[in-house]
Amino acid sequence: MMLKYLTVGLCGGLSALSLAAMMWLTFFDVLGRKFLDHSIEGSFELTEMLMVVVIFSSLPLVSWRQEHVTFSTLDWLVGPTLRKFQRSLVLLVCSVSLMVMGVVMWQAGVEVAATGETSAQLLIPRAPFIQLMGVFSFIAGLVELSWIPSAIRDPNLLDGGSHV
Amino acid sequence: MFEAMLGFGGLVLLTLLRVPLAFAMAISATVGLAVMRGWPVAWASAEQVIQETGFAYTLSVVPLFVLMGNFVARAGLAQELFDAAHSMIGHVKGGLAHATVLACAGFGAICGSSLATAATMSRVAYPSMKKLGYSEAMASGVVATGGTLGIMIPPSTILVIYGIITETNIGELFAAGVLPGILTASLLMAGITIMAWLDPEHAPADRRYSWAERWRALRGIWGVLVLALLVLGGIYGGVFTPTEGAGFGAAGAFAFAWLRGKLTWRLLFTILADSARTTSMIFALLIGALMFANFMNFTSLPFELKDGILGLGLSPIMVVVAMMFVYVALGMVLEELTMVLLTIPLFFPIVFDLGFDPVWFGVLITMVVQIGLVSPPVGMNLFVIHGLLPGVGLTTIYRGVWILVVAMVVALTILIAYPEISLALPTLLLR
Repeated sequence: MMLKYLTVGLCGGLSALSLAAMMWLTFFDVLGRKFLDHSIEGSFELTEMLMVVVIFSSLPLVSWRQEHVTFSTLDWLVGPTLRKFQRSLVLLVCSVSLMVMGVVMWQAGVEVAATGETSAQLLIPRAPFIQLMGVFSFIAGLVELSWIPSAIRDPNLLDGGSHV
Repeated sequence: MFEAMLGFGGLVLLTLLRVPLAFAMAISATVGLAVMRGWPVAWASAEQVIQETGFAYTLSVVPLFVLMGNFVARAGLAQELFDAAHSMIGHVKGGLAHATVLACAGFGAICGSSLATAATMSRVAYPSMKKLGYSEAMASGVVATGGTLGIMIPPSTILVIYGIITETNIGELFAAGVLPGILTASLLMAGITIMAWLDPEHAPADRRYSWAERWRALRGIWGVLVLALLVLGGIYGGVFTPTEGAGFGAAGAFAFAWLRGKLTWRLLFTILADSARTTSMIFALLIGALMFANFMNFTSLPFELKDGILGLGLSPIMVVVAMMFVYVALGMVLEELTMVLLTIPLFFPIVFDLGFDPVWFGVLITMVVQIGLVSPPVGMNLFVIHGLLPGVGLTTIYRGVWILVVAMVVALTILIAYPEISLALPTLLLR
């Protein structure tokens, strides 16, 4: 239950807010630059930071709704029992991959923190954003893991998927 | 070569096991690289790709165009486009189907997604066609194929992603999509004329509208015109970069939806969160594909493939034609974005070496993606329309699309034969 609130509430809210912020930032930056000859200071790097938050904070949501693009053409070949096993295994693979990626990015963030690297204009430290990538990846991994009991009960629940 | 084959083998195996494609690509790439160069190099490479993709300013064009598309889809602009086209052309045989294609083309000028265009038009155009007595097959087929115009007529998600991975100018790609988009729309309308001729009973004509009614309907599309002119005109005119145009377009689309009273707080949140999720899903694929491309570059496959193909002594244009055959075949079974992400690292260097214009190749790729989206059995637009129209079976939709798929293949052939159709506008406006 806590994972649900964390995913849908926190991640959903954060990603929505960041995307809205990115939209208005670009809009006012262009407006200022073209018409008032005065752009927003550091808008370039702020957009970069917001991009990290938008992409990675919605990663757990994509896992929550099982929306990663999947090749499902051969589903009809897999019987119900095998399907339970298949879906659980796939969830485990995704979960482990995301958690490993989470750890790798967290460590990368720690290394960057040691160098004290910041953005050029606003001097915002870069490390917390890299660690944020790791945290959200790890949460997405937990979400994938939390799907396994449902996959064993009813593997067809997982037939989500979204596309461009 | 051997390592690359193992990597591809692992990717295919994981994909067939139903591991999401983004993960399948990332896992095969990381393990492949670890086998070749050791784990520290593999981790460093993964971490570098993730950081570079996450922090990339130019990539913010993706979420902003997705957001713009989602706002316009909810702003009710599609209904007005359809009404305007309906009033002009509804009186001919198959007129509502023609109107659907025109409305899709207009909607494509403010929305960069094929599925969003098809989904929006299915709500607007399908009920009108059904009411007038169109067959389910024709009505659903026209909406599914018309929707693909969303990615050819700029702005376009596929052209943006192609531009990013091949480092081709996105503004030029957008300019290049206009004439091919118009060509495709015209050929789809020719296809509809044939369908109406073959089955006139199920493609009836509506009444002829008076000019007063037509003017009234045309006045309704000012919103679309303003938004398209602002964003695309701004990009072509050099006022905006594509990223700035996307931000401006998203804010403009938000303003339209809000002024029309279509936005509640809840809906606003849903649109933002949906767009962020789509972005995340695209970036997961993008990161996976970039990791895989990185791994491929460590192997000798791209060079050997290039040498092998160039060594065959085929004429350059035949190489491109052969690639298009591969794409159309892949498009039948693979999700289209994945197909593009996986093949570009291998095909693009060859096309570039043969001296072809990357902008032209981008248009061809978009055209094959359009075809793939509506080619049975795995055509995403067909699935989406099937999901949105209860009671309309997939086989019914298949029956409705095949003549239109042929029309799109004709469009592809014309675009291969006459590169100037794609290159005229970028040359005129931006070079």
